[in-house]
Amino acid sequence: MITKLLRKNVSRWQLAAYSAACLVGLSILLVSISFYSDVRSIRNSDNGNADFIVLSKPVNMIAALGYGSPDAMSFTSDEIDDLRRQPWVKRVGEFTSAGFNISASVEFAGRGLSTALFFESLPDDFVDIDSASWQFDPAIGEIPILVPRDYLALYNFGFAASRGMPQLSEDIIKQVPLKIALGGNGHYEIMPARIAGLSSRLNTIAVPENFMRWASERFGDNNPSRQPARLIVELANPGDPAIKTWLDENDIESSADSSTSGQTAYIAALCAAVVGIIGAVIAALAVMILLLSIFLLIQKNSDKIRDLTLLGYSRSQVGKFYRNLILIINCIVTIGAIIITLVLSPLWKAPLESFGTPESNIASILIWATMIMGAVSLVAILACNKMIRKASR
Amino acid sequence: MIKSVTDRLTNIRLDNVIPDVFSNEDIGYSQIWLSDFCFERGRHYMIEAASGSGKSSLCSFIYHNRSDYRGNIFYNDINARSLDASAISDLRCRHLALLPQELRLFGELTALDNVKLKNRLTGYLSDEKIKDMFDLLGIADRINHPASMLSIGQMQRVAIIRALCQPFDFIILDEPVSHLDETNNRIVGKLIYDAAMAQSASIIITSVGNRLALPTDDVINVRL
Repeated sequence: MITKLLRKNVSRWQLAAYSAACLVGLSILLVSISFYSDVRSIRNSDNGNADFIVLSKPVNMIAALGYGSPDAMSFTSDEIDDLRRQPWVKRVGEFTSAGFNISASVEFAGRGLSTALFFESLPDDFVDIDSASWQFDPAIGEIPILVPRDYLALYNFGFAASRGMPQLSEDIIKQVPLKIALGGNGHYEIMPARIAGLSSRLNTIAVPENFMRWASERFGDNNPSRQPARLIVELANPGDPAIKTWLDENDIESSADSSTSGQTAYIAALCAAVVGIIGAVIAALAVMILLLSIFLLIQKNSDKIRDLTLLGYSRSQVGKFYRNLILIINCIVTIGAIIITLVLSPLWKAPLESFGTPESNIASILIWATMIMGAVSLVAILACNKMIRKASR
Repeated sequence: MIKSVTDRLTNIRLDNVIPDVFSNEDIGYSQIWLSDFCFERGRHYMIEAASGSGKSSLCSFIYHNRSDYRGNIFYNDINARSLDASAISDLRCRHLALLPQELRLFGELTALDNVKLKNRLTGYLSDEKIKDMFDLLGIADRINHPASMLSIGQMQRVAIIRALCQPFDFIILDEPVSHLDETNNRIVGKLIYDAAMAQSASIIITSVGNRLALPTDDVINVRL
């Protein structure tokens, strides 16, 4: 009956205008949030490249001529500590290079190939292959090796093509048996090895940390205090412009292309943020329409509200109609915006597919939409209660 | 500290009350303004005065509808100014009934809905009883008409039925019979009196001379 009484002055046009404006604003906001989280999830799933950079010092003339001390090319502990303190750094891993002689030989297609080699190791959790195949057991003696994916491309399209050698797939190359000769410190040993994986993150030939420790003890030159010449850094925010500034200031080089992809992601995130802000502004203006419309409604009904309280109705009983009105409209707007976002999402998901499959983010869209509209409803209802208190006096 | 009138409202005391608008005027002799006056439950009061002497204001002050007065009003020794919204709402649902002079019916609702709007809040009367009262007051044929389509006399009777749709300790009637003929005056008088007697409640009536015909002489005349 109260509903029948208070419904009288409801302006359908004002509420329709609010619903439309809020729907547009909220949809834009949700689309940008969803787009942003898609881009983010791709970047995280995309070999994890974008979040890692490898740092080294530039090779100068003195070092090139072999006169400089090798320490000039290394990072000091102070430099590493300074790096760890940077806000864009999540964690830092040090490359350890082998202090002994290595050569590798392989036999396939009836020919033997042999080459001098180098190994580096880095903390296992920076290596982008699964940890089960990344273990060295001295009892078994087989060394897992990680090779840059680029090496395979060089071999397949450069070396193999020009020498009439068979081209290799990733699966085949993992089956090729290798023999590694290790020497130094008066010891010499030949050990079996296999290519455990191909990395697009690491631009080196890497072996597990525990193998490096074991081998350094046997063959090493007893100089364990050597400083690392290369560092791998996991970035908290790959697009952060502060990264480049810091690198320039300290005259340090980074593996370039991963940071480019970081910048692309950063720009995409920036676009999403700008679009999101526009959506938020539209939604905020829509909320103003809602507040004005309800304010007018309560003003027009102020006599009725006063008479109802005179009969003994509480403010909350009178306000129930307005509360329900706000909640129903906002529910419809929320559901509408979620549907619009889900319908539009294939528009950007399809092109993004080529970079990787984004994780489903329906849950986060639902949570965001509910949170935003929950806050809007709360503000509107509080404002409404205040107006009713004023009208009932 | 906020209190509410819990059980029965046994008295309404006016301590040095005067409407703000009169505060700078010489109001002459009055039993109520600027004195200590107590309405006691179980007694009936007829407040007579010329127009403009503040009768409706008094009703609004007692009903806690307006507070533009100096001095204090106490319900069972609880200062009216200390009541919060829910205590006021409770006061209007269980202790005080009001027939405002301007009636304040909702024009877009039917006569019956106007009554039910109040009764739904209190759940005090059965639908049967409400229809009986419409019958008794001779407006049964107008029961489903929008209130705005009724004559003022008919509206007055609908508003009286509405005022009776609740338990009360005091019923305040602001010029209740200004538009009623003699027969209806008597019927209304008996209806209100019976309702009040059934609850040992008080009747407070204002009048400009056209008195509600109560079936009793036990009425205290008060000069405003």
